Amino acid sequence: MKKRLGQGLLVILIVSGGLTATGASDTSSDYEALRLLTEALNEVATKAVTQKKDQELFHGALRGMMSSLDPDSSYLTPEEYASYQRGQQGSTAEAGIELVFKDHLLTAVSVLDGGPADRAGMRAGDHILKVDGHLIRNITTQEGERLFRGSAGKILKLEVLRNGLVKPLDLSVTLETLGPPLPKVKMLKDGYAYLRLPYFSNDLPRQLAQELSSLSKGAPPPKGLILDLRNNARGSLDQAVRTAALFVGKQKVVTTRGRKSGTDQSYQGSDSEQVLKAPLPLVVLVDQGTARAAEILAGSLQHYRRAVLLGDKTFGLCGLTQVMPLQDGSALLMTVAYCYTPGGQKISNDGLKPDIEAQKPPEDDTKPLTSPVPNPENDPWVKQAVEVLKSGRAPSS
Amino acid sequence: MDTPQSRSAWNILKGRRGLWLAAGIALIGLFFWGLATAPSLTTATAAPKPRDTERVLARASIPITDNQLKVFANALDIVEQNYAEPKTNKDLVYGAIQGAVGALDPHSSFMTPEEFKELQVETKGKFSGIGIEITLKDRNLIVVSPIEGTPAFRAGVKAGDQIIKVNGTPTKNISITEAVRKIRGPKGSHVVITINRPGFAKPQDFSIVRDIIPIHSVKARLIEGGYGYIRIANFQDQTSRDLRNYLQKMRQQTPPIKGLILDLRNDPGGLLDQAVMVADEFLSHGLIVKTEGRDARQRMSFNARPGDVGDREPFPVIVLINEGSASASEIVAGALKDQKRAVVMGTKSFGKGSVQTILPLGDGSALRLTTALYYTPSGKTIHEKGIIPDIEVKDAHVALGKTPEKLRDEALDRHMRGEGLTDKPWDKPLTEEDIKNDFVLKKAMEVMRNWPPKELAGKPST
Repeated sequence: MKKRLGQGLLVILIVSGGLTATGASDTSSDYEALRLLTEALNEVATKAVTQKKDQELFHGALRGMMSSLDPDSSYLTPEEYASYQRGQQGSTAEAGIELVFKDHLLTAVSVLDGGPADRAGMRAGDHILKVDGHLIRNITTQEGERLFRGSAGKILKLEVLRNGLVKPLDLSVTLETLGPPLPKVKMLKDGYAYLRLPYFSNDLPRQLAQELSSLSKGAPPPKGLILDLRNNARGSLDQAVRTAALFVGKQKVVTTRGRKSGTDQSYQGSDSEQVLKAPLPLVVLVDQGTARAAEILAGSLQHYRRAVLLGDKTFGLCGLTQVMPLQDGSALLMTVAYCYTPGGQKISNDGLKPDIEAQKPPEDDTKPLTSPVPNPENDPWVKQAVEVLKSGRAPSS
Repeated sequence: MDTPQSRSAWNILKGRRGLWLAAGIALIGLFFWGLATAPSLTTATAAPKPRDTERVLARASIPITDNQLKVFANALDIVEQNYAEPKTNKDLVYGAIQGAVGALDPHSSFMTPEEFKELQVETKGKFSGIGIEITLKDRNLIVVSPIEGTPAFRAGVKAGDQIIKVNGTPTKNISITEAVRKIRGPKGSHVVITINRPGFAKPQDFSIVRDIIPIHSVKARLIEGGYGYIRIANFQDQTSRDLRNYLQKMRQQTPPIKGLILDLRNDPGGLLDQAVMVADEFLSHGLIVKTEGRDARQRMSFNARPGDVGDREPFPVIVLINEGSASASEIVAGALKDQKRAVVMGTKSFGKGSVQTILPLGDGSALRLTTALYYTPSGKTIHEKGIIPDIEVKDAHVALGKTPEKLRDEALDRHMRGEGLTDKPWDKPLTEEDIKNDFVLKKAMEVMRNWPPKELAGKPST
């Protein structure tokens, strides 16, 4: 008994020593928190059937702490951080999906139109249970993304759970090097135009500017435009701001707010970037696969009443992340600020609510509504958007 | 030092991820009150805890080095200071423990104090509701059946009723979990459910006072020709007692039943001690199951004792399993198979051969840890291998390519018409006609009627 107490003192001293070293503000509650962690790790170390190296438990703990924050926050082990710093150019082939690890599931937020995952049959909202036979659990979004990168031609065998299906699906996806996503334009009946943005990229604002200006110079110019941002979860804040400027000029596009200094900022483009000057009624299609840059763009267009949003609530994933190195060579990748629309509405977690909810077809609910169909003329949401444009409810200034 | 941790309960149910499998073929949309949200069933009796310092330090090796602890404290600090929104360090540590435990195996997990409390309430059978099983069909909330003798049953709620409102709130797009949460509540309180039923001119309100709802995991029927059928849905506190009652009643028939079919298909498991008692019911001696763990208290052998209804005059037993039979079901099937007490029919079982123990932590939260693996009497591990049936019989419907969703709907429809296997009183014998939809059961009855099975010359019981 005496001996045990002796060890107890040692551990307590170590704990408080660690705290003074880092200068924690609330020592007693931090002590409690650390004591609880030690207690849990102790139970695991003595009783669990699977014996893990201390390092694995420790990394698991940090990973768990970070992914409990939000899907964009991750922990990088020293090796992972080193490769993160080297950049991710090494393996450029990918599956064409955007993933998040949320509620203990690795979920495809969006699937790139015509990309490898799309062709393999994956749909936005699918949960990935297994990759090459390995159960996906307790990972971070970062790690999940790494699993879906590699050399071109690499085949991933996936077990995928889809809402509405009892049994998981087996899919196999071949990684490919993808070119930049191109906006797709299609003229619909009755003089309306449909414009699809699959993902954002650095070059997208320029390409979109070209498409928009050739549309508005058309003879006759379209009576209205449907901008399809469904199933679009890839893109940076900067790309979103430059894209939004095509529509709103120098008006504020998005604000970020956090607690760390320097994270409170507003972002806007310039008047010279504005392409769409003549009034053109605009309907933006959004859904659960609309996230990040697409949410920033949709949020600003909605705020300035430049467009009506039609569809479903958006995913709600928009923040600024920063890397914070730790003393052992590992690092935290952490959301330091959330995005807010120009009207001050938070995008992260809450998502954007559409102005007009899409009418869901009464039956056939196993079929996901989220993926745009190849021919927009047959897409029920596009049809509904055309009706909105015809009724004159879409703003045009 | 007396550490009462060994009293922590056993739990051997599959984790969340296995649930889809458990939800295999039959009435999967069904949920009992309280069991709906819990990924597993356990009697988490929170053992009195030794003083914290003793607990943390009662071992020689430290699970986390001081350097690691420093790094962790630093990380905690960074997040507390810089994350986009303030977070309490308790929430952060909960996330960390979840992550550490998650690194182990799919069945180990962490429970917050709230989750742990809920689990205890549910597994002590003390939850109260109105006594209906519900499911979602075409996004509508449907009563699968009112449980006999419960408030809902007395109020006249019927199988097939559509619940369109709960306390005035429409059930449109509601999830089962949410619905359960809304309908459940403390004993003595009341809930108003608005029901639509063919034949009603307009939806009607039923005001029902909640009560404690008994949960029965065992259902039984006689089968024409002097046989018995017992189905175990999961292994919980009352299971072995309910089984013994039915067995006794069946053996007291004149003449007593000549053979029994024990249906463990889609039974996801439950409590280890109940599995042992159920197997013991049929065995007079010999090993039932052995557990092996790193902790000495987790190494145990469970042996059968004579004097039970099912072992006095051994009658033929056929155990039915499928890929939805897991853990406790596999212990029973494995023991009866290895001890040659029963012929196992169906398809290979799930293969979950591990035991979870609930370990309460200092602040009211708890760990569910995989603390042992179990082995059948022949020394085989079930883990990831499953129990291989003596006679393989595949479900004809699955072979026909029907989706699980379709099978579920069909089973539900049969039940709504009162044609399910256990929808009538136990002593009304099942006819050939009744079991024609269940190919595996039909095959089992063929084997039973031609006992001993020629497929296994010399192998089976009696």
